[in-house]
Amino acid sequence: MKTIILQSAMVIALTAGASSLAFAGDNMPFKKEIKARQSFMQVYAYNLGLLGAMAKEKAPYDAKIASAAANNLLAAANMDNGTMWPKGSDAEAKGLDGKTRAKPDIWTTYPKVKEKSKHLKEALTLMAAEAGNGLAAVKTNMGAVGKGCKGCHKAFRVPKDE
Amino acid sequence: MQMLKRISFAIGWLTLLSVVTVYILTLPRSIDALQIPPHKPDLTNGETLFWAGGCASCHAAKDAQKEARLTLAGGLEIKTAFGIFRSPNLSPDPETGIGLWNNVDFINAMVKGISPDGSHYYPAFPYTHYQIMPFSDLIDLKAFLDTLPAQFSRVAEHDLNFPFNIREGLGLWKLLYLQEPIIVPVNQDKGLLERGRYLVNGPGHCGSCHTPRTLFGGEISDRFLAGAPSLEPGDPTTGKPKARIPNITPHADGIEAWSIKDITYALETGLDPDFDSFGDSMVEVQENMAKLSAQDRLAIATYLKSIPALPSEK
Repeated sequence: MKTIILQSAMVIALTAGASSLAFAGDNMPFKKEIKARQSFMQVYAYNLGLLGAMAKEKAPYDAKIASAAANNLLAAANMDNGTMWPKGSDAEAKGLDGKTRAKPDIWTTYPKVKEKSKHLKEALTLMAAEAGNGLAAVKTNMGAVGKGCKGCHKAFRVPKDE
Repeated sequence: MQMLKRISFAIGWLTLLSVVTVYILTLPRSIDALQIPPHKPDLTNGETLFWAGGCASCHAAKDAQKEARLTLAGGLEIKTAFGIFRSPNLSPDPETGIGLWNNVDFINAMVKGISPDGSHYYPAFPYTHYQIMPFSDLIDLKAFLDTLPAQFSRVAEHDLNFPFNIREGLGLWKLLYLQEPIIVPVNQDKGLLERGRYLVNGPGHCGSCHTPRTLFGGEISDRFLAGAPSLEPGDPTTGKPKARIPNITPHADGIEAWSIKDITYALETGLDPDFDSFGDSMVEVQENMAKLSAQDRLAIATYLKSIPALPSEK
């Protein structure tokens, strides 16, 4: 009898545990903000990919596409998206393990993140001005743009959990 | 009674014997000056090895940029599950750095993990990788280090947990994990694959982070570069590692989808095939690799695509 009660208790506990896991997605704190900022990063990656494919000579150089992509990147970098990164929406926050890779240092060392984003804007200003002038200009500026991305990713993002 | 005496004598003798054996086995064993052939240092090659080895990542000040990366005053704290390691001063300062070291001292440190005073270094200093470097490369690297700015700076001791704080234990560790060095001179002329193998396994010490380790910190060769939990201490309650270091074998879980061009481009710019950038500690590594020749990056990429494809640990 005792065993059965214990077993049932365990089953209930496990089921409750499992369903709380299943619902974690819906009740995830800062769901909107995290979704928005991750999509925003995809916009960067997409446009950078257009330039990168040319730089890697996987796609033919096209001045119009290169210019547009570079201008999009600069426009994105100039957006004020501060509300997408509310305090407490970091990887160490309760319920956010595996949902975001933002380190709490973004907020504890503020405004360091803002200073770093300045370098990205500078690199993108150059890229936007020169991307239409030929493949060599795109290739040369990619390094600085990459450095701009790494500035924040080095300090403020935990590695991908495979 | 006679019997008991004999047994206790035997036990006593065996204990003494094993103490002596352990003592002898764990004694630091160094390379003799006579084993090192004369070699005229090549500073250009020394600088290549300096960047390939990423010396500045641990021995320069944290987040040092440009010229400051060449001042190797040490003192960087590396927090691991074994405790806190502090990188030593590698600048040519005679008092607090390695200014008074000769080539024999340097080679013994790099190949045997032994300090000039004959004690063991902890393998946080990746001599298990550096041991495959030929003497000529080590002499070139030492000559390059000698050209860097000297900085007076005394670095505090490591803060390690028991039993890792017993330095003598490293003698046993070396018996397990520091095999006889394979001293094969490899140079660019011997083909891309071999050059890549040398850079990845030797100076580049990629396995230090990308290969998982045993409980005692030895790299598991069967899981070569297949990704590993980060060595940083994880969550104190769950024991979950802070992060995983990616699988860089040519498996679907690793870099199967990356072409050789993708790898060389990523090592040059820090941008992966999805045009996400590298992050965290890989940024330092990549920026060091960006200082190598395009040919050396191609060698690394070619070699990485040739190693056994292993799935990630699930």
